[in-house]
Amino acid sequence: MDIKNILLIMRKEAAESLKNRWFILYTACFSTLALLVLLIATSGSNIAGFTGYGRTAASLINLVLLFVPLIALITGGISIASERENGTLSYLLSHPVTKSEVFFGKYLGLLIVIWFSISIGFGIAGVGVSLGGEGGDVSNYLITALLSGLLAASLLGVGFMVSAFSREASKAIGVCVFLWLFFIVLGDLGIMGTTVVLDLGIRQVLILALLNPGEVFKIASVLVLSPRFEILGPVGVYAVRTFGREGIFYLLFSIMALWTLVPLLLAYTVFSRLRKEEL
Amino acid sequence: MIEVSGVTKSFGRVLAVDCVTLGVERGQAVALLGANGAGKSTLLKCILGLLDYSGVITVDGRDIKDNPKRAKSLIGYVPQEPEFYDIMTRDIVRFFASIRRVKKERIDRVLELTGLKEHELKSTTELSGGMRQRLSFAIALLSEPPVLILDEPTSNLDAQARKDFLTLVSSYKNEGKTVLFSSHRLDEVDLLADRALFMRAGKIILEAEPENLGKSLGLKVKINLTIPEHSVDRAMSLLLDGGFPGVTKNGGGLDIEIESGRRMAPIKKLIQSGIEVRDFSVDEPSMESLVKQIEANGY
Repeated sequence: MDIKNILLIMRKEAAESLKNRWFILYTACFSTLALLVLLIATSGSNIAGFTGYGRTAASLINLVLLFVPLIALITGGISIASERENGTLSYLLSHPVTKSEVFFGKYLGLLIVIWFSISIGFGIAGVGVSLGGEGGDVSNYLITALLSGLLAASLLGVGFMVSAFSREASKAIGVCVFLWLFFIVLGDLGIMGTTVVLDLGIRQVLILALLNPGEVFKIASVLVLSPRFEILGPVGVYAVRTFGREGIFYLLFSIMALWTLVPLLLAYTVFSRLRKEEL
Repeated sequence: MIEVSGVTKSFGRVLAVDCVTLGVERGQAVALLGANGAGKSTLLKCILGLLDYSGVITVDGRDIKDNPKRAKSLIGYVPQEPEFYDIMTRDIVRFFASIRRVKKERIDRVLELTGLKEHELKSTTELSGGMRQRLSFAIALLSEPPVLILDEPTSNLDAQARKDFLTLVSSYKNEGKTVLFSSHRLDEVDLLADRALFMRAGKIILEAEPENLGKSLGLKVKINLTIPEHSVDRAMSLLLDGGFPGVTKNGGGLDIEIESGRRMAPIKKLIQSGIEVRDFSVDEPSMESLVKQIEANGY
């Protein structure tokens, strides 16, 4: 693998995405909503023990959970499938580049662009908090932004996996929207429903939650922002008591890292094994 | 320069390329002819390493399977229907220049050479079919590769764009580069190729020098001559008596069916006899008639 080729493809991918109207629209929506969240958060008083950066970060969690997985999944889903569909991948591979350079260059390019978008949202809200003079612990705010970036990395990898399996971009988008509904919209409901139907114990409920990257992000973010882990409910209390506050934090980070690496490597394996005529 | 040895490629049960062996020498221009589905594009894609195949393909001694990057760096490729990223024309040339480790000055050179300099700030989606073809040619020329592979490069071009494109390729060939191209058109083969290979059902069934291809197959072209109305009858008698049996009247002129290699002979005959030839056009034999002729010749 030639690092220079990866960086070239990454730069091309990022430049192309930054000019994409859907991406611009997404960034504008995310940033506007982040600003609104900031205004709502600062208009309230000391909500659930959060102040300043902490309160804004807590308010941003739900926004991140809704927006970041959607854009990461769909961007990843389109990435390879659309290039296969319109023939640009085949043309690119007629030049002296390898499939692995194309794959990792595309992934990094798209990830940087999504991170850029997240940074704008968190940046606007952060500057707002700073100008409002509320202050607070900025490090936890930055860790929440970092967790959002990890969530994007993991679901972008899932999107790439879907894309590697799909010959058509439209089908890949369909699967990605379904996964977004499954992970994010139905995440809590799914856990509640499964718990009731199967009469699960608290340990099983925790395991079920940890299987969902959205839930992992949510739990980790709340633990970062609040000293009161009781707000996570009985499962949160159980988790902290079982693994310790630091332990559960490292566990959640590790799961996020696994959710990033495993789908990405699986996607790479599928992509690298595609017969050339399928590209 | 290009060695293809026993290459076979199947798509499921369909045998697209059937144990093809061919060699293209350095500086030679070779045309692959054949009807749709004959296996021309598949063979070119195998040479480019874009398809899996059995057999051996080397470019300047480098096996495309073992050393694909090195082999591909020696090839410039113009696909049948080039697809580009939706970015500025100059940016896409710059991107591929970086991939091929080409100096920036070369970007301006290829854009000027292909007449795209004035369109460099347009998005690739704003370019016409002819311009897109020229863009893929510009990209192919970036690293001045010793080998150029063209897959029916003029199939989507109008007459003027086709002419311009062929002039470009011709000048490249005159620099001593190796060209391997597929085509549907015999006139392109006449203009560019040193050798023509005819493919059918994945096999090379006929190899000939272009000027002898029509002759060896007895192919005929139709020449339409425009001559003064008062000279039509005299011209017709002259040609019929002079060994041109396929002459018919056509309005204010004559239609002559003649072997491909003798197309200038009736015109010369008329001019030598003092008959004015005001204009002429040539209907080249179609690929379908070539296929029929080849089958009739028992290949």
